[in-house]
Amino acid sequence: MTTSFTPSGHLNSEPLTLDKNAIVAFASRFDPQPYHLDSEAAEQSIFGGLCASGWHIAALATRLVSETLLQNGHPFVEMISVSQLRWSQPIFVNEQISVRIALDASLSESPIPGTRAQSLQVDVCNGEGAEVAKMSATVAISAESVLEARP
Amino acid sequence: MSTLFLRDRWFEDLPVGEFHVFGSHTFSELEIVEFAEAFDPRPQSTDPVQARRNHRQGLVASPWLITAKWMRKMVDYMEVYAHGVNDGRRNGAGVAINNLDWLEPVRPGHTVTYTYEIIDKPDRVIREKWGLIRSRNEAFNQYSNKVMQFEIDILAERRPNRSNDI
Repeated sequence: MTTSFTPSGHLNSEPLTLDKNAIVAFASRFDPQPYHLDSEAAEQSIFGGLCASGWHIAALATRLVSETLLQNGHPFVEMISVSQLRWSQPIFVNEQISVRIALDASLSESPIPGTRAQSLQVDVCNGEGAEVAKMSATVAISAESVLEARP
Repeated sequence: MSTLFLRDRWFEDLPVGEFHVFGSHTFSELEIVEFAEAFDPRPQSTDPVQARRNHRQGLVASPWLITAKWMRKMVDYMEVYAHGVNDGRRNGAGVAINNLDWLEPVRPGHTVTYTYEIIDKPDRVIREKWGLIRSRNEAFNQYSNKVMQFEIDILAERRPNRSNDI
């Protein structure tokens, strides 16, 4: 059955590993800058090594958020908005990322039919547990599950 | 200084109010499905048949594909207009985004045009070398409806205090 929304609860995702192929595949299509494509050029760059595009991290974090919410009985429908997104550290080749999600207590009107809007704080962490990015987002959750969760 | 040399400028040379149109992109069904399968697997973006019956009543692009294409359009635009710049003076690395909204769905065949305007130069120096350029970025579909907007802070290298570096 659907779990309820707990104001102070945190949900944690499984980790996923970003290998060089994945980093370069995303970057070559969407963010073809030297520090995301070429190891030697990346060493000379501000990041000091080949690292994932911030947009790649954002998309994967959203994927982890949706999977984690689904597993916990909150049927994620889609992302509505991101009021803040901060990239604080690069993710280098073969590093892991995972997300820690805090659900805000209140639900609001959603622009997407059949859904309610849920605010979340998402911390994206590397394999050592250090925060590499942070996102404040509003996502659409299926309205049916909300009714079930709140009799 | 000519905007042809967009990246051949230091932080100090970039004026608030500068405006660019990065260009347009027409989204295909294939790229919408491929992106979603790889990065954001939601049925409204991966399955054209099922998508017809869901809340969007048809296939829509992942929100992150719309922003990823913004990134690609910016990189391509900057490369074209950054002739001869390979000294690291690029305004490349983004550090933060604010107020990112996806306002309307983008569907197969829609053509989206991306615009960029420098709106602020926050008073911060990072690692004694970089300044921040804050831009407002908007994307419009072929009906002139805004489909996405956000602000981003991007690092730009500050002019070194050496007279032979002009």
